[in-house]
Amino acid sequence: MIAAAADDKEATTLEDSPDYLDPTILARLKGLRLRARLIVEGYVSGVHRSPFHGFSIEFAEHREYSPGDDLRYLDWKVFGRTDKYYLKQFEEETNVACYLLLDTSESMRYRSASAPMSKLEYAKCVGAALAYLILHQQDSAGLVTFDNEIRALVRDSSNPSHMEQIVHVMEESPGERKTATAAIFHDLAERLKKRGIVVVLSDLFDDVDAMMGALKHFRHRRHEVILMHVLDPAELDFPFRQTTMFQGLEQLPEALVEPRAIRKAYLEEFNAYVRRLKQGCRMHRIDYVQMRTDQSLEVALSSYLASRR
Amino acid sequence: MFPLPPTIIAFGIANLPMLGWLAAAGAPILIHLLFRRKYREMPWAAMEYLLAALKRRGRRLRFEQWLLLAVRTLLIVLLVLAVAEPYLKQAGFARTTGGRAHRVLVIDASFSMAYKPTDRSRFDRAKQLAGRIVEESRQGDAFTLVLLASPPKVIIGTPALEPGKVLEEIDNLRCGDTTADLPATVATVRRIVERARRENPGLGRHEVYFLSDLQRVAWDPKLSAAAKAEFRRHSEQLAKTAALVVIDLGQADAENLAITNVQTLDPVATTARDVRFEVTLKDFSRRARTRQPVELLLDGRRVAQTHVDIPPGGEASAGFAYRFTAPGDHSIEVRASGDALHVDNHRFMAIPVRQSLRVLCIDGHPSGEPFLGASDYLVLALCPQDDRSGQGLVEVDLATESALLERDLSRYDCVFLCDVAQFTASEARLLDAYLRSGGNLVFFLGEGVLAERYNRELAGAAEGLRILPARLDQVAPQGVYSINPLEYRHPMVRAFRGRAKAGLSKTPIFRYYKLVVPKDSNAEVVLRTTTGDPLVVEERIHRGRVVMVGTSANTSWTPMPLWPSFVPLVQEMLTFCAGGELAQRNVRVGEPFGASISGSAAGMSVSVQSPDGRTRPVPLRFEGDYGTLLFAETTAGGIYTARFGPPASENRRFAVNVDTAESDLAPLTLDELRADVWPDIPLLHEVTGQDLDTETAGAPIVRSRRLHVGVLYVVLGLLFAESYLAWRFGHHAP
Repeated sequence: MIAAAADDKEATTLEDSPDYLDPTILARLKGLRLRARLIVEGYVSGVHRSPFHGFSIEFAEHREYSPGDDLRYLDWKVFGRTDKYYLKQFEEETNVACYLLLDTSESMRYRSASAPMSKLEYAKCVGAALAYLILHQQDSAGLVTFDNEIRALVRDSSNPSHMEQIVHVMEESPGERKTATAAIFHDLAERLKKRGIVVVLSDLFDDVDAMMGALKHFRHRRHEVILMHVLDPAELDFPFRQTTMFQGLEQLPEALVEPRAIRKAYLEEFNAYVRRLKQGCRMHRIDYVQMRTDQSLEVALSSYLASRR
Repeated sequence: MFPLPPTIIAFGIANLPMLGWLAAAGAPILIHLLFRRKYREMPWAAMEYLLAALKRRGRRLRFEQWLLLAVRTLLIVLLVLAVAEPYLKQAGFARTTGGRAHRVLVIDASFSMAYKPTDRSRFDRAKQLAGRIVEESRQGDAFTLVLLASPPKVIIGTPALEPGKVLEEIDNLRCGDTTADLPATVATVRRIVERARRENPGLGRHEVYFLSDLQRVAWDPKLSAAAKAEFRRHSEQLAKTAALVVIDLGQADAENLAITNVQTLDPVATTARDVRFEVTLKDFSRRARTRQPVELLLDGRRVAQTHVDIPPGGEASAGFAYRFTAPGDHSIEVRASGDALHVDNHRFMAIPVRQSLRVLCIDGHPSGEPFLGASDYLVLALCPQDDRSGQGLVEVDLATESALLERDLSRYDCVFLCDVAQFTASEARLLDAYLRSGGNLVFFLGEGVLAERYNRELAGAAEGLRILPARLDQVAPQGVYSINPLEYRHPMVRAFRGRAKAGLSKTPIFRYYKLVVPKDSNAEVVLRTTTGDPLVVEERIHRGRVVMVGTSANTSWTPMPLWPSFVPLVQEMLTFCAGGELAQRNVRVGEPFGASISGSAAGMSVSVQSPDGRTRPVPLRFEGDYGTLLFAETTAGGIYTARFGPPASENRRFAVNVDTAESDLAPLTLDELRADVWPDIPLLHEVTGQDLDTETAGAPIVRSRRLHVGVLYVVLGLLFAESYLAWRFGHHAP
């Protein structure tokens, strides 16, 4: 077995490592960067094929082997000479920019009792993991946090050290205000000049038509759009039984509800909303990925990688 | 008939206090409100969709909530209602649908139906209701009419199609003084219904209406196992062919006072001494009666009055003493007024009063020397004052056995036969006729007796007459025997109880005839010897009584005539025999009374006057020289007078009294009727008339149809509905 190279103090062996794609386990860890690395490495060890390379065809340099690397790219000649494992790395043909649009509104802070983390925490993990992955592919990654206005904008860069800035901005995003998605997306569509991949991490609790119009704007600017719809399991299942005073977030009113009586009607409303979202995405060739905060993060990485191919 | 109001339907509750639980119906509303007050708070991100759902479904949700709440509340209300046993009172008879009906109207005519708390008695109401049944029936329906009495009386035995005639018969009905014989009545009704089915196939439906006060003693009679099985069999058969309707006319709180007994403490009434009467009164209510007046009437004239205190539900006695001034038949009436049932407030007694008792002694071995004859000691014992002139209590005639045929035995209250050797066939016939006329015989045996002749002529051997209660066997060997008084159970020796000095049990017997009591006879052994042999045997034969003493009336076989027990024993024998006539003069309603008259009875006219004043001729039945009267139509209580003549001119009085078992008015509840009397026998309707007294004249019968079973079915349906609605409305969804 090949031991993993430790690049920081929290490093551990892959053999012993738990499934860091599981949000329950991930929630126990502190530090978004650590989470991002473990997510990506956990994902890589699962697929046994490095996602970081393979898109380019011209040899660029050698890199020391790390666990999970695709053995097809192992330079056996170098191994024969030096007795060390080196991988051949290839020069990219193109350098793709990926913009991570992270919703930090108040509704993203919601976390039900059965969920291991809030939607915002989950979205941050996904965003950081994607950033980690992107930067390790020598693509450039940028970050925008927003609620009813743009809170932070990190320009895209392929520099690995850019990761620190992205993580820092993510960690500083509190999530307190109302969402105003459509206006912000229109604004960003105008701002992001370089064509790339736009990954939206949000619960998308906003006017669907306006929102789809704004996403269409991205498409008009020839961006690939991946809509990562982060939802709490309670929002999807509405499992409550006891009479509850539901207090609306983002300045919505409260309502005293007998959950068992209203469940069916609520799910009808909610599913209609999701259906409309999916229809809009399909119409505008936008990738729609629904993510439950109690489910593995693997789906997020897979969706991104699928779009890259 | 009474004017009839229109049909009325009313709702009632049998178990009213249970309605207090209706407060529990507020529980679902309370729980609903509590749950609305007790809620948790939770921030919610997808509020927009929740609000949209509420806006879209809010009104329906509220409707569903209220509907569920209403169902749950109604469920509790109906459950409480079912436990409270609601019933629907229907006044009047609804016309039943279907083919022609045969209705058997069984009206209770026992004297408890004469209970009259208002201006109308229970019997009046029964007649009124029976009339309604007839009037409200359809054309083509047929009716039969039976009185529930003892014995049952069939008024209309074959189905009558003319309502007018049936109503006329009902109108003419009178309440009797009898008890009610339910088993016999049910058997009679069953026969009527079966015959109607057989002979009138067009009558497709048969209904039997029992209009009764449901008196416990009548409806739940104490029967032997066999009689009970028979009653049950008849009831089941009847229920298979006819629908049974019970109309309860009783009142649960009916009070009653009855004179249950009047008796003389002296079995023989004479003008020589006071006759003591003991009256027993019984109260059948829960309240005490103080200073209840009790009157004694002699031949319709009040002669004494006293007051008694009667505890609630208890008995009390009153005593009277009266000396009759003239011999002959007298009637006594004891009266205690003061309640709604008058029939049992009177009790009658017919009492033949004599100047003295006349006794004939036949001596089998007369002797000129004192106390050497067979009957000397006996005569002395019968008339201890040595006064045979007729001025004393007992007047004794002495005769030899040869003079027996010459004597007119009808003049004597009792004939003593002492050590008579034998009897000829003509003598036996004479004695037999004497017994048939109500005479009494006492046989003392002795050494002169020929056992074989006794057995042949008097003990029924060789098809002879049966006069003796026991057959003579051998003479017991000489010895010293004592008397076993058999715990003084027999009335003849009851006076010796507690009186050891009389020495009855220590009286020595040296010789006696062993007496053999035939099996299956009604003879009773009064005394036995200590060896277990019967010594004194008595039996009621024909209308008289025969006492047989196994030993002698003189000292030849026993020193008993010298013993202190002899005089009281002979006196008790005489009064026991003569007192038998009193029992024959006083009978219960429904029991026959009879009398015999000797001499030139042929061609004699006899009539009986009833208490209501009606006089009916009654034929005499002749047996030898005696004519026998038997009168069975004792349907009412009171004094009956039998008039014999001409050529003779003689009146005899008889008292007929009600059976005061019927005086206990405690009713049977409908549940008891179902459980104890007619278990598993369906009643077409359950009827109660307990509140009839509060209704106006002409009130219809009140039928009570219990609704609780139907309500329980609704509760069950609501339970299913609640579960379904709760599931349908998503309340039970995970």
